[in-house]
Amino acid sequence: MKNTIKVERAKKNWTQADLAKNIGVSRQGLNAIETGKFIPSTLLALRMAKVFDTTVEALFQLEDGDA
Amino acid sequence: MEQSKKTAQWQSVIFALIHGATYLPAVWLLKHRVFSQPVSIIIGVVPIITFVIFIYKLIKSFAVMDEVKQRVQLEAVVIGFALTVVLIMILFLLSLCGISNALWFGYAYLVCYCWLFYFVGWFISKKKYGA
Repeated sequence: MKNTIKVERAKKNWTQADLAKNIGVSRQGLNAIETGKFIPSTLLALRMAKVFDTTVEALFQLEDGDA
Repeated sequence: MEQSKKTAQWQSVIFALIHGATYLPAVWLLKHRVFSQPVSIIIGVVPIITFVIFIYKLIKSFAVMDEVKQRVQLEAVVIGFALTVVLIMILFLLSLCGISNALWFGYAYLVCYCWLFYFVGWFISKKKYGA
């Protein structure tokens, strides 16, 4: 699964720490999500989409091998 | 929220220290001093109580962790549990073969190995997620 968190974060000029604080996770935890090491829960994905004012589908996309 | 997370984590650390501070003297007393059986039982029960409180606080601190840290803890416990089961199985099978060394693999040591395996699991999982 790939994600566009880094891109969305750059649009808002937020650091990982800023976003982590906004969605209630640790910075290290957010880094694990951003680098694709950890797939977040629906709740966290929705929270992230909300702070970026976008949709979960826009933030996370399935890759060929995921289907 | 952030404050309650830190409080829960600190409480579990504090109760771990309290448990250590009761467990080690209790073991020393029971090993090196002679008490009547009721007194020995009371001395033995004290670290158990502090351990139960510590585990309760630890579980409470898990509940307030973010989901990545919860996953790290879950994997640490699974790895720690699996390695402990493997060790106990090996020791059991070796004892059936007549090979056993109570000096290094007594109950007290098994507790230490169990914690060691938990920390091994924690290290592996932490490295995996970078959290």
